[in-house]
Amino acid sequence: MAYEVVEGIKDQQFTAEQYVDSIIKRIEDVDSKIRSFITVDTEGALSSAKIIDRKIKEKEEMGSLAGVTIGIKDNISTKGIRTTCASKILEGYVPSYDATVITKLKQNGAIILGKLNLDEFGMGSTTEYSSFHSTHNPWNLDYVPGGSSGGSGAAVAAGECTVSLGSDTGGSIRCPASFCSVVGLKPTYGKVSRYGLISYANSLEQIGPICKSVKDAAIIMNIISGKDMMDNTSMNSTPIGIHSKLGKLNIAIIKELINGSDNDVTRTVYSASEKFRDIGYSCDEVSIKNVDYALPSYYTLASAEACSNLARYDNLRYGYDFPIEEYKWDAYFNNVRKNFGQEVKRRILIGSYVLSSGYYGKYYLKAKMLRSLLKSELLKLFKKYDLLIGPTMPILPFKIGEKIEDPFKMYLIDINTVLANLAGIPAISIPVGFSDGLPIGLQIMAAPFQEQKLIDASLALEDIIDIQRGPNTI
Amino acid sequence: MISIEELKYLAEISKINLTEDEIDKFPSQLNKTIEYIDILENLDSDESIALDLYEINFDELRNDIVKKSDGQPIIKNLTEEGFLRGPKMK
Repeated sequence: MAYEVVEGIKDQQFTAEQYVDSIIKRIEDVDSKIRSFITVDTEGALSSAKIIDRKIKEKEEMGSLAGVTIGIKDNISTKGIRTTCASKILEGYVPSYDATVITKLKQNGAIILGKLNLDEFGMGSTTEYSSFHSTHNPWNLDYVPGGSSGGSGAAVAAGECTVSLGSDTGGSIRCPASFCSVVGLKPTYGKVSRYGLISYANSLEQIGPICKSVKDAAIIMNIISGKDMMDNTSMNSTPIGIHSKLGKLNIAIIKELINGSDNDVTRTVYSASEKFRDIGYSCDEVSIKNVDYALPSYYTLASAEACSNLARYDNLRYGYDFPIEEYKWDAYFNNVRKNFGQEVKRRILIGSYVLSSGYYGKYYLKAKMLRSLLKSELLKLFKKYDLLIGPTMPILPFKIGEKIEDPFKMYLIDINTVLANLAGIPAISIPVGFSDGLPIGLQIMAAPFQEQKLIDASLALEDIIDIQRGPNTI
Repeated sequence: MISIEELKYLAEISKINLTEDEIDKFPSQLNKTIEYIDILENLDSDESIALDLYEINFDELRNDIVKKSDGQPIIKNLTEEGFLRGPKMK
């Protein structure tokens, strides 16, 4: 846990360098099997650790995350460390600046360990769409770790970093958190600056933490949140208290999300809701009228935004080695953009389709209307209930390769998570059980900027159900 | 539904050359998605629905101060004279 690392270094039980050494050794031992990382910055991490040790010796301020090793999803810009989005089109790109979240983590003494695997540009739910390699689920290496922040989920579960950052456009933090039995939080839209997050669908996505404990998630959130002049959609908000104790909360299970889930998932989520009742929370069941339109709306908007955001990859300002000689204007761009993976191409094409003349009103406008209707419906429910819950994922983790040939089937598994992105509300996934050794996560959603309620309920549940956060076998 | 011709047109406006395999596979894959998002037509909605989701204050702008970049140049096709090189227009 991050807080234990900081205490350990502060109390001089071990040095930051010893801790970073042990984590690098761990990566060397297991990452050939898990394949969480795209880039490991061993030299940079050790040099940062030495600085922290020197500060401790000289009794200087060391920062509230001193020595905590953080793995970063490879679509978040890190100065001097290549940032690929798991795409061949950005293979050699080394950012000249840090994302705001990275600046804030570094200012607080955190050690950037390296860059973690994802589905190319964040488009996918398994990491199989990474252009480099698939990541394996640490609980069973034949299974997917979820995605798109699959490297971030697997690395935390496998002990390859203390905590990680992911990004969540339609579930990309919560899905791997659920599949890897760790905690993942997607913040309210605007709570965390997106400056330096390489855009896929910028009206939907947020950066958030993936951790082994709820307390760690709250600690990281308090560091990375806040208004940033480099992102005009960011806002200031109240810090999250670790011991706030809001008292007994009113919870409701979303019927449509639980009804469509696998039996083992349903059973485990009902059992978690019983635990909430045991500690005095009220727990009803509610229905969401527009839930069936959520996923079509999400794929319409995300593809439309992707088509526009990814138009910038012309290979002139950054990109891979493909000389301009011999090519004319259009031919050059059409050729270099062949290097996008198939899923990225599919989404760009769908985006072009839904935005094209004659279809805009039919798809894009309707999808935007659904967003507003859904948000109103959810906000109305949040007047009566503090939290809405359901399974994070409707199914258990599945085998690598099982769904890769049918992209549409893959889209359907995002049904439970896209609601929070469309409405811009915060949502957390916490581990609540296993079926045949495969993890199951509970999703909790709250009204905008009510992360405190998510953390309170998650801490309360974590206290009474002790679910393993990392496998013993790896 | 997207035909092979429409797929080629979408690829052209998206500036992506598709491989033979993609031209073969994509129509059925994309059509499954389009068939699915077609249900948006049934959404009970009207034009009075507000589409602005967030209350963002865009008036708050940062001061226009020129700062020196301390990073490495990221423009890979820069000439020695500082121009960006692109392919021929015609």
